[in-house]
Amino acid sequence: MVIYLKNIFNDAGDITLFAARFFKEVLRPPFEIKEFIRQCYTIGYKSLPLVGITGFIMGMVLTLQSRPTLAEFGAESWLPGMVALSLIREIAPVITALICAGKISSGIGAELGSMKVTEQIDAMEVSAINPYKYLVVTRILATTLMVPLLVVFADAVGIYGGYIGINIHADVNLFRYFSQVLASLEFLDIIPATIKTFFFGFFIGMIGCYKGFTAANGTESVGKAANSAVVAASLTIFIIDMLAVQITDLFF
Amino acid sequence: MHKEPGYTWKLGMFVIIGLVLFVLTIYFVGKEKNLFGSTFHLKTKFKTVSGLEVGNNVRFSGINVGTVKNIELTTDTSVMVILLIKDDVQQFIKADATASIGSDGLMGDKVLTISPGTVSLPPVKDNDMISSKSAIEMEDVMGSVKASVDNAGIITAQLAEFSYKMNNGNGALSKLISDEAFSSSLKSTLTNLQTSSSEFAKFTTKMNDGKGALSKLVSDEKFGKTLDSTMSNLQAGTKGLSENMEAAKNNILLRGYFNKKKKAEAKEAAALKKKADLKKKNDLKKSGAGKKITDEKEGGVLNATDSSMQQ
Amino acid sequence: MIPQETNIRKQETVGEENIDGTIISINGLFKSFGKNNDILKGVDLTVKKGENLVVLGKSGSGKSILIKCLVGLVPADEGEIKVFGTDISPLNNRQLNEIRVRIGFLFQNSALYDSMTVRQNLEFPLKRHSKKLSPSQVDEAVTNALESVGLAEAIDKMPSELSGGMRKRIGLARTLILKPEIILYDEPTTGLDTITSREISELILAIQKKDKTTSIIITHDMACAKLTGDRLVILKDGVIDAEGTYNELEKSDDEWIRSFFN
Repeated sequence: MVIYLKNIFNDAGDITLFAARFFKEVLRPPFEIKEFIRQCYTIGYKSLPLVGITGFIMGMVLTLQSRPTLAEFGAESWLPGMVALSLIREIAPVITALICAGKISSGIGAELGSMKVTEQIDAMEVSAINPYKYLVVTRILATTLMVPLLVVFADAVGIYGGYIGINIHADVNLFRYFSQVLASLEFLDIIPATIKTFFFGFFIGMIGCYKGFTAANGTESVGKAANSAVVAASLTIFIIDMLAVQITDLFF
Repeated sequence: MHKEPGYTWKLGMFVIIGLVLFVLTIYFVGKEKNLFGSTFHLKTKFKTVSGLEVGNNVRFSGINVGTVKNIELTTDTSVMVILLIKDDVQQFIKADATASIGSDGLMGDKVLTISPGTVSLPPVKDNDMISSKSAIEMEDVMGSVKASVDNAGIITAQLAEFSYKMNNGNGALSKLISDEAFSSSLKSTLTNLQTSSSEFAKFTTKMNDGKGALSKLVSDEKFGKTLDSTMSNLQAGTKGLSENMEAAKNNILLRGYFNKKKKAEAKEAAALKKKADLKKKNDLKKSGAGKKITDEKEGGVLNATDSSMQQ
Repeated sequence: MIPQETNIRKQETVGEENIDGTIISINGLFKSFGKNNDILKGVDLTVKKGENLVVLGKSGSGKSILIKCLVGLVPADEGEIKVFGTDISPLNNRQLNEIRVRIGFLFQNSALYDSMTVRQNLEFPLKRHSKKLSPSQVDEAVTNALESVGLAEAIDKMPSELSGGMRKRIGLARTLILKPEIILYDEPTTGLDTITSREISELILAIQKKDKTTSIIITHDMACAKLTGDRLVILKDGVIDAEGTYNELEKSDDEWIRSFFN
């Protein structure tokens, strides 16, 4: 029991140090710009189709599902605003983050884990290249910046999906739909949700990197690293989301 | 030799589209909230803002033209509301425009409505104060509703008492409704009334159609005319008589007679006066003796009352 | 030829080798992983400049840990490790890196970067440590390194397309590209067939002769040890158990030592 607790504290301490190292290294030259761009490409652009499809489906399904309830109150005209609000405030950030946890966090975990196991990380270190800087900083930075962008895309595609969803039953002009959406939005809907996504991105990258970087030797641990990265990242996303909503609630 | 990686442009496209989408959303939401574009301020004071909040819409002629920028308490009974309004509508809002607070839709989002004011007046300037109409508070509405409901309560109570009395009381109206005997007598009265009215009808018919004097008086036009001319002749006759009399007064022959008549009248008046004085003297003498008699009478009465009291 | 890479060596702040030619000296090195899992229990070892030392030992005897301690990949628990006359344990990362660029390390499984082509694998350390090189100079260095391991045609392949022997050679080329003074070989012939093993061993020998490097070779392949080693040490139970030339050890009285040679 004591050992179990001690292990938990050890892990927590390790993760904290790992994260602290990121902030220390991110500002210190040399900067691995090329690798950063490459990671942005793999993390951002390559995830776009997945995020887009999910966002579209979420928007459309949300519209179709909310419609009967709103219709009961005769408030169908609220549908665009309601769908846009729920998408931007909650659904698009969380769903996108979860998808990224599944795709990116596990990918990073597996990639770094296998690099660790096949001594590629050691190889970098002995050739006097800081593997943390080259592998970890670039990836965490890339996820921190790309996940919010992916969420913006998910928002846009999701709202368009809502438009399609509305037009299955009714006939709403696209311009009118978007003006209704914009009229229902406030900065308070957009800004906290956007800030939240940066944290999502940071933790998705950080947890993936940590799990990969600390993988034990042996090919089995690569799978473990990938798996536990997804689990830990998904859980963290929900916790951050809860905290973010409470903090937003507290201040506004 | 050193190729640029083929993905750079895709990444760039991804990033730029994403950022543009974000910035556009921010811009349009901002435009919706009036944070961008040229605007001006208006101030107005309310006793109560009925739950109006910063960010609520401002309407002019039913169009959203701005938002509520700030709400602050100035004194314990007045609230200053600062409005942010699009520049384009400034020219249409005149100096005597008034602001009022209303509800938008069923869910009660408040809106501030500006009514235009007089056309001839100059438009408002930035930071101008415009007057306000106090909002119709839900409480006020409820208050007046309550008063009417109270009145209705009183009315119905009285109505109930009234109808109870009607059913059980002995008043005429009550009898009218509940007493059979009364109703039968009323019925006979009505029958009599009917008969008499039919008699009267017969009478009037006869009057109209008959040839008696009364009938003629009422219905015959010729007779009416004759009567009219008789009357005018009579009038002319009396007028001539009065003229004659006037002429006679002024006639020398008859003047003496008239003067005598005057003197006699004066004499008669003097004699009447003398008589009255004499009568007065007699009355005075009489009242002195009479007094004694009445005193005796009073004493008797007094004695009688004393004895009755002693008993 | 490759232009002498000067950037880091000119800023040299750490010391040079001793006058007697000792380039590496290890004194009382202890290393354990957790309780009751002592791997190294007081290893003493010196390597002279230009010497080719072969370290023999059973699997799990801590041979790999030993050379990882030398480059600071694994921090020592106790003891002194002097490389180029400098104790590496108190050094910070930057100072350590100054020593590391002078040491080549060939990993057991070559540790080629999977996501890069062979060219990028070779360029990767070079570009970071000699930024003043023009692209054509980098290109030339890469080609030369590949030619020296006889695999110039593999330049645009991905590591996954290469066979085990080829990967080893590419790994060696990547090690050589920084012109190291010491090369540490971690089981260079493991997992290869006899013929390829022999090719690799001969390659190591050729490099030693050509570039006059000092090398430590960890292996349990006696053919390789015989071919490449000037001196052999045997690691047993965390300490140096025996030391000598191939011929000396082959004729040892100790049954256990002789068992390596059969």
